[in-house]
Amino acid sequence: MDSLPRPERPEIAARRGLPPPLCWLWPGSLAGRTALVLLLGLTLVQAAGLTIHALDRLDLQRFAQAREISARAFGLWNTVALAPPERRAQMLADVELPPGLTASLDEQALVPPGGPPPPPPIIRLFRLDRLQGSGPVRFRPREVRVGPLGPPGPPMLLPSPLPPAEFGRPPGRREHGPMHMGDWAGRPRQGEWGASLRLADGQWLNLQVRLQPPRPWHSETFLMAFAVMTFTAGALTLWAVRRLILPVRALADAADRLGRDVNAPPLPESGPTEIVRAAAAFNTMAERIRRFVGDRTQLLAAIGHDLRTPITRLRLRAEFMDDDEQRRKMLADLAEMEAMIAATLAFARDDSAAEPTVALDLVALCRTVLDDAADAHPELAERIDYAGPERLVVQARSVALKRAIANLVGNALAYGLAARLRLIPAGNGHPVRLEVADDGPGIPPAELENVFLPFRRLEPSRSRETGGAGLGLPIARNILRAHGGDVVMRNRPGGGALAVATLPM
Amino acid sequence: MEPVPHILVVDDDREIRDLLSKFLERQGMRVTAARDAKEARKLWPLGRYHLVVLDLMLPGESGLDVARWIRTQGDTPIVMLTAMAEETDRIVGLELGADDYLGKPFNPRELLARIRAVLRRASGEGGPGVKEPPAKVIRFGGWLLEPARRRLLNPDGVEVPLTGGEYELLQVMVERANRVLTRDMLMDLLRGRQAGPFDRAIDVAVSRLRRKLEDDGRNPSLIKTVRGGGYVLAATVEKA
Repeated sequence: MDSLPRPERPEIAARRGLPPPLCWLWPGSLAGRTALVLLLGLTLVQAAGLTIHALDRLDLQRFAQAREISARAFGLWNTVALAPPERRAQMLADVELPPGLTASLDEQALVPPGGPPPPPPIIRLFRLDRLQGSGPVRFRPREVRVGPLGPPGPPMLLPSPLPPAEFGRPPGRREHGPMHMGDWAGRPRQGEWGASLRLADGQWLNLQVRLQPPRPWHSETFLMAFAVMTFTAGALTLWAVRRLILPVRALADAADRLGRDVNAPPLPESGPTEIVRAAAAFNTMAERIRRFVGDRTQLLAAIGHDLRTPITRLRLRAEFMDDDEQRRKMLADLAEMEAMIAATLAFARDDSAAEPTVALDLVALCRTVLDDAADAHPELAERIDYAGPERLVVQARSVALKRAIANLVGNALAYGLAARLRLIPAGNGHPVRLEVADDGPGIPPAELENVFLPFRRLEPSRSRETGGAGLGLPIARNILRAHGGDVVMRNRPGGGALAVATLPM
Repeated sequence: MEPVPHILVVDDDREIRDLLSKFLERQGMRVTAARDAKEARKLWPLGRYHLVVLDLMLPGESGLDVARWIRTQGDTPIVMLTAMAEETDRIVGLELGADDYLGKPFNPRELLARIRAVLRRASGEGGPGVKEPPAKVIRFGGWLLEPARRRLLNPDGVEVPLTGGEYELLQVMVERANRVLTRDMLMDLLRGRQAGPFDRAIDVAVSRLRRKLEDDGRNPSLIKTVRGGGYVLAATVEKA
């Protein structure tokens, strides 16, 4: 069974205005969107914070490592310089060096002479100036060479076959003389450099420094704290957004209620200033609508009342007419006028809102309407029938709903000479469905919705015959919508029109 | 029936008053007309009225006040003329003890039929003086009838809508519960109240009513068929 089309849906979808591939990522609700934007912002801030933290930690780690290495290097030098030459190698082997620092005693310097001086950051970081300037003169190295190390591996450690000036430069670069500066200056490889210190007896103490790659994420408690913080902030964001959006939902609900019942209670004017303003504006608007509807109702009631008296008089006068034929016709005209006034008043007053909602048996109501119709049109009695359950209790306004169903049945009889009513109970999320089928010519597809416009008749030539004011279907729709349902017209595949009404449980 | 019924018509529109008086007089009734509540009170002691036709919309004191006042004076039947869809007025009027009502603009012949039916019931049930006040609710066999709202509620409190004919029939039968009513008696009791094809279809109306009362058509327990052509509503009736 197909469900009733809801005309507003496609418009909402179109109004979102996002390209289709992104649609599913962009939440439909305001709460979802706000939360998404806030969470995205939060993620960005957290990422930036983490980066700053990591860089800071990186610097700190490197600094500590560098300080340790330089301190140990001095210690090493002092040890080696003070030791007798034959015990140097043994002592060097016994010393435990921090990770990243290796030392060896060689006949050759690891760093070739004549290299560029180390860039200031390296000097500062490792306090290289102390190599030359501190301590008694006899402990100072006879020569100090500091230079970048090439890629790690054998070429660095081999005794160099190259001329000293070329030593230590990356292969393939030797033509570009000034380029060797680039190793220090362009991208100072703070972590990889070497120092060669010449001892008094001509031996070289070669130090190689390879700083360990820093580990900014080493702390587990930090990661845990970070996760807890992120989660808490996210949860708080969602909660706050939900709370902030609540008044908007209340506003939507109130507008919905107002649509059904003009006399719905006003919105409470409390909360943040913007919400108070919105609620106040809404209440003012509701009050204006109420006044407008009230004025219109009063006007129509006055017209209706004023017309009642002359019609009553005319009816009485007709009783004194001697010409039976003319009297019959006059009474028929008066009945038609009266029906039109009654329909217009019923449409305009919408007095269904004043009627209380009660539990009622919809089947008995349908049968009542059909029996009345059959009594009024005995010639069509065989084409009026009911199919459906024997009992179906709904919450509804009895008089109004009876009028709506009677209008649907009356319309089917007037234009389709039959009224076959079928009732389908609610289930599976479907509302109660009430169908009235007729045997008429049906409705042109372009007019299916227009028949619900007030005073609209498809065939003006028929108006005399049916005597309606063109308000039966609009009234039926008003009443059903006031019940939270709706009614639409369809054409039956086999011919004839079908009114499909829905009514929520 | 009384030889010449005397009717008091209370309506604020002079034309309607005059035309209605003339119309009812042509039907063999005596008519006195009053413009408003004040005049009605003034005219009250001057005659013994069999029935009052009362417009609810009166200038000054409303028709409801007049109805209430008439009730303090005796049990003269009242037929109310109400505005087209003023449901509440009708309910209040019927609860006050009006015997029938008609929406305005009314069909004069229907008004005549109702006047006659009310007069017949009043005289048939002992005339003025013995009529009990109208019941607000009538219980029978678990069901509930609210005469003022013309409503039937099932034992679960669910409203079961009735057609006008079904309601009249049910009310007549409930008022005469446990008494056998022949088709002729039913037709006689209902004539005038329900115009149209009703009188040829008592049996149809009874079967419709049985279905709505969930009374098994083959073995009915509430509305029983009496051999020889009649029906009886078999239930204890409580009025409140």
